[in-house]
Order: sequence, then structure tokens, then C-alpha cells
Amino acid sequence: MLGNDNYYLGADVGSVSTNLVLLSEKNEVALTLYLRTQGRPMQTIQEGIKVLRSKIGKSAKIIGVGTTGSARQLAATLLGADVIKNEITAHAVAASRVNPSVQTILEIGGQDSKIIILRDGVVSDFAMNTVCAAGTGSFLDQQAARLGIPIEEFGHLALEAASPVKIAGRCSVFAESDMIHKQQLGHALPDILAGLCQAMVRNYLNNVGKNKDIRGPIFFQGGVAANPGIRKAFEEELGQPIIVPEHFGVMGALGAAYLAQEKVGRQSELRTRFRGLQLGDIQFNARSFECSGCANRCEVVEILQEGSILARWGDRCGKWANAVGKGTYKGKSQEGEQQGA
Amino acid sequence: MKIGFPRALFYFDYFPFWAGFFYHLGIEVETSPPTHRQIMEDGLKKTSDETCLPLKLLAGHIQALKDVDAIFLPRMVSMEENTYNCPKFLGIPESLLSAVPPEIPVLSAVINWRKGQRQVLKDLRVLGMQLGKSGAEIHRAFLEGHEWQQHYQDSRGRKWDFEEKMREIEYVTRQTQKIKPENFSMQVSENHQNCQKDLKITLIGHSYLVQECYANLNLLQRLREHAEVNLIQHVEREDVEAHLSGLRKKLFWSHAKQIYGAGNKFVEDPTIDGIIYLTCFGCGTDSMVQELLAQKVRKHHKPYMVITLDEHTGEAGLVTRLEAFLDMVERRKVREGYVSAYGECLDSHSNTL
Repeated sequence: MLGNDNYYLGADVGSVSTNLVLLSEKNEVALTLYLRTQGRPMQTIQEGIKVLRSKIGKSAKIIGVGTTGSARQLAATLLGADVIKNEITAHAVAASRVNPSVQTILEIGGQDSKIIILRDGVVSDFAMNTVCAAGTGSFLDQQAARLGIPIEEFGHLALEAASPVKIAGRCSVFAESDMIHKQQLGHALPDILAGLCQAMVRNYLNNVGKNKDIRGPIFFQGGVAANPGIRKAFEEELGQPIIVPEHFGVMGALGAAYLAQEKVGRQSELRTRFRGLQLGDIQFNARSFECSGCANRCEVVEILQEGSILARWGDRCGKWANAVGKGTYKGKSQEGEQQGA
Repeated sequence: MKIGFPRALFYFDYFPFWAGFFYHLGIEVETSPPTHRQIMEDGLKKTSDETCLPLKLLAGHIQALKDVDAIFLPRMVSMEENTYNCPKFLGIPESLLSAVPPEIPVLSAVINWRKGQRQVLKDLRVLGMQLGKSGAEIHRAFLEGHEWQQHYQDSRGRKWDFEEKMREIEYVTRQTQKIKPENFSMQVSENHQNCQKDLKITLIGHSYLVQECYANLNLLQRLREHAEVNLIQHVEREDVEAHLSGLRKKLFWSHAKQIYGAGNKFVEDPTIDGIIYLTCFGCGTDSMVQELLAQKVRKHHKPYMVITLDEHTGEAGLVTRLEAFLDMVERRKVREGYVSAYGECLDSHSNTL
């Protein structure tokens, strides 16, 4: 159980995981939550808030909220966020707060991978994977499942390799068939796993890390940083030590919390837009419809809170999105109990 | 007679010529509507999966042309000496015949400036015969088209808005009394988004991607909300030529030439804060030119990002990259206030400071 402090909440809602971080006013990470999104971001956020509520003191307060990740808009609507930022900026902010001298961030998440180059704490260059998700966490997940080993043990097994086999790394489909061939020839599992780690790292550095000036200190974050096999492969390939920060899995959320702190902290009179910890118990629904206003037939998504519309998006012209504030919703959110203990 | 003109691919660069040409001949031209979802979906169904997005869109636009007597699909081989259009332009109309509704005939014409004006006129006369027009009429129509195209190209500039310009041309083609290009009256709107913004971003890419706001998920407009946007299409031909030096071999693709030459100009321009290269999946010429330009950009340590378009309709990926890029450019700009970006101890293999 945590104390009754004031906290900043950071939420990173990605394709694979939903992470929540509570940052105290003293810049201490009070709580981190790592949940699987499992294709249901709204429920997962609510679940996370419920867990959060059960863990913090009754008079603890959330004084700022930041969201990031591919579902940052959705999360922001649900939570009432003060700041919404893209993942690149969030990751960079978190890393440079943890270690102001960091110059390179390698980040591999569930569906995407990115490299961020920082100089003097400022993002100077970045790249994200393009059309294909080869070499991201989901692929490792899938391969671990195919080989029948828990993903947590993947990396440790890879470290036991005596002589890693060579695996084609350009495409995950090729990699998979190559792995099967090697496995059928009788190579040991650790050797195959280590080979896969090397292939992934090679692929990452060739695609995402192409033409980037990778200098130390290098941070490795994102869910895949939990895998020591990948970490070792990076160290071998780059010839430099790789630092995995303490909260590697939730760095995006941590960055969002820092950004919320920056935003709210700067303007002391600014009150957070957080919708309260009771939101775990509120009924939220999402539904979508096809607008027939023009030939674009946009897929409009509506987020409903107990029947009333909270937000809409997906329309190109903005007529649905803009209609929300003018209708039923406005005013309600700010009036509601700030902290339902 | 009413001719259907698809609003895709060659439309974006050469429509003024054809509009003037048919206008002179008294043939009504109907353009397909701006791309919408149905057009995209129809296009995807009627083309080979191997081809590029712009060609798929063209196939969609062909199907969107209803109530026309013929669909016009010119084979634009070459627009000036020593250059070619992309091979996919050369394969038109044959490569797209499967997308044409069976009851509508296809009209085509070859435009090949590599062999000079005489050949162009000769090829146009073939079209003229199909249309029942005399050689002299075709010649005059050619001159009028040429004038329209020239007027259009001369008017490209900073405050110029592509869609407005095209609306103007389409408007004139519907008028019965003759109007000369210099009297095309629609004013260029002064309040255009391109005013007073701190950031200056250059958007590089083929006209049919940059101006295709449905397929590029409104990228140009999104950028203009945050920055002053420069386009390579606005760069004068002489300027383009002047920035082509340094290549060991001449670029013979016309779009590639424009992109590389104009792109180079912006790379060297210290007032430009960042460059975004918009390309589409599977573009052959871009695969070369993008890399050539990226090498230049790295030497100048400018923020640079490539966005690859395909059939995406989800905006999240684009928005994330765009936001991150603008964040970066903004923060770098602040920092470069006191650290020179062009100073020493820089690594020329990276566009990092």
C-alpha cells in the first residue's frame, strides 16, 4: 500500500501492453503496472485503474495525467489527460530523466521498434520500423509459443548457446522457416534461440538503425529489453555496453508521467483533467458506425460513458468529432467528483 | 462529346495542357471526383498487387467516371528532352484496360517530347482523326494546351494552392465564351495557410502523392497547421537544373529529376528546418532518389524523415511519426539557437548533430 501522496499518472497504451506508472512529486516511481492489452484497450485501462486504486491510500491524489502509445487518444478520453504525446517523445523524456547523458535509445515493443538519437537530452534523430513488424516483440512471442517455451525463459535459454546458428533475419516469415529447418537438422534449442536473437538485432540495426550514429550511453527499453539474449546480441553487435534501465518495460508511461508533471507543474493554477479513480467502475462502451455524409464513408468511433457520448474520432472532416463538445458531454467531466475514494 | 479525365497520376502535372487542348476543340472534359474511399477500393480490386498505389488510384478513378463518351488515358512518354516519365506512365493505357468499364471506349494519345514537337503533333493528329478534327485544328489546340500548361507552371509559387488552381482550370473549361489563360481570374487566396509559422518544413514527393490528400491522409494540411511548407513542385526549372550537379550520371526520369534537384536546393537552404520525403511502397525511382537525397541530407545534418504510403487508412502511424518529427524539429531548432548545426566535429554518416 502506498502513501497518501500526490501522484502523476502516466499511461502507455500500446498494441500489446498497457502500462501505468505513478510518479510521486519527489520524482520517485511509486508504482508500475504492466498489463496485456489483449485487443481491449478500454477494459484494460479500467482494470489498471482498479488495481491502482486498490494500491494507493484513500486520500492519495492524482494531480496530472499523461498518455502515450498508439491508443493515447482513447486513453486520454477515458482518463482525462492533461498531456497526450507520441511514443518517441515520451520514451526520450523518460530516458533522459533517468540518465541525462544518454545518447541512444533502442526501443523494441510489441508491434513496433524504434531508435531515438539524443544529443544533450534533445531528440536529434529517430526512426521507426516501416511497413513490416518483423523483429518486434510479437514475433518473439509467437516463436516462443511455437517452440513451447515461456517467453520469460527465452532469453535465458539463448544465453546458454554454445554456437549460435545463423538464421535469416530479413523477414519473420523467412526467419521462421529457417528456424524450422535448423531445428529439423538437430541443432540445439539454445543455439537456435541465440541465432534468432542475433538475426533480430541484425535486422533491427539494418532497418531501423540504418545510418544512425549510435553512441553510448545506450539505453535498451521496451518489453523486449527483458530478454537477455537480445541484450547480449546487441552488445556483441555494437561492441558497447547496453544499459537496461530499471523500469525498461514502462518507460513510455514514465515519460508520459514526466510530461504531465512538466505541464501541470509549470502552471500551478492548472487543475488536472483527470476524471477520477472511480472510472474503473464506470460503464464505458465503444461503438463505430460508417458515416454516410460523403463518399469517404469514414469509420467513426464513438466512446460512450453510460450512454452519453464522451468522444468521437475517425471522421476526416471532423463534423462528428467537433459535434461532441457542443452536445451532451461538456461540463460533465470537470464537475464530477475529482477523486472518488 | 464528353471525355472523362481521371483525377489521378498524370492529372496532377499535366491536366492544364489537356484541359486547354480539349477546350480549344470544344470537347467537354469531365474529371472524376477527388479520391474517396470507394475510388480507392475500386482501384485496389482492378489492378495487379504488384503495382504502386498511384496507379491503383488511377484505376479507381477510371471506374468513377460515369456518363462519359470516352475515357482519356494518354501515354505520357516524355515531357522534355532527355527525360522519360516513369515506366508505369508508359504502360498506360494498356496496363489499365481491365479497369475500364466495358461499355466505355478508351481514347489515348502518345506524348513524346524526346523526338521533338513534330512528333508530338504527329501523334496528336492520330487522336485528332479519332475525334474528327483536322490537322490545323489539332495544331491550334496543341498551342492552346501548351499555353495553359505554361501559365499553370509559371503560376506555381509560395502562395499557390494546387486545388484552387485546378478548380479554376476546371471552371474555365465549362465556360462557353473563350477565356485566355492570363485572364483566369480566380484570385490566389492571400490568407493561405502558408503564412507566419516558425517552422519551415519541406515536403518532398511526387505531385500525385503530395497533392493526393485522401491517400496521404491529409499530410500536407496536417503539416501546414504547424509549419510553413515548401514543396518541390514550386521550384523553378532553372533552379532544379542548377542543383543537379554533382551527379555522375544524368537523371533521366522527369519526376526524379525534379525531386532530386529541388530537394537538393532545400537541403542546402539553411532556413529549412526539416525535410519529409513522402514516397509510396514499391516506387522504383524513389528507391534511388530517396537514398541519394538522404546522403545529402546527412551531410547537412538536417532532420529528415521518410514516410511510405500504401493502402493505409489508419492514421495512427502517420500521426505518431509526424508529431514526433515536429517535436524533434522544434526542440532542435531551439537548441541550435546557440549550437551551430553546421559546425565542425560532425559525423557525415548520420543526420544527427
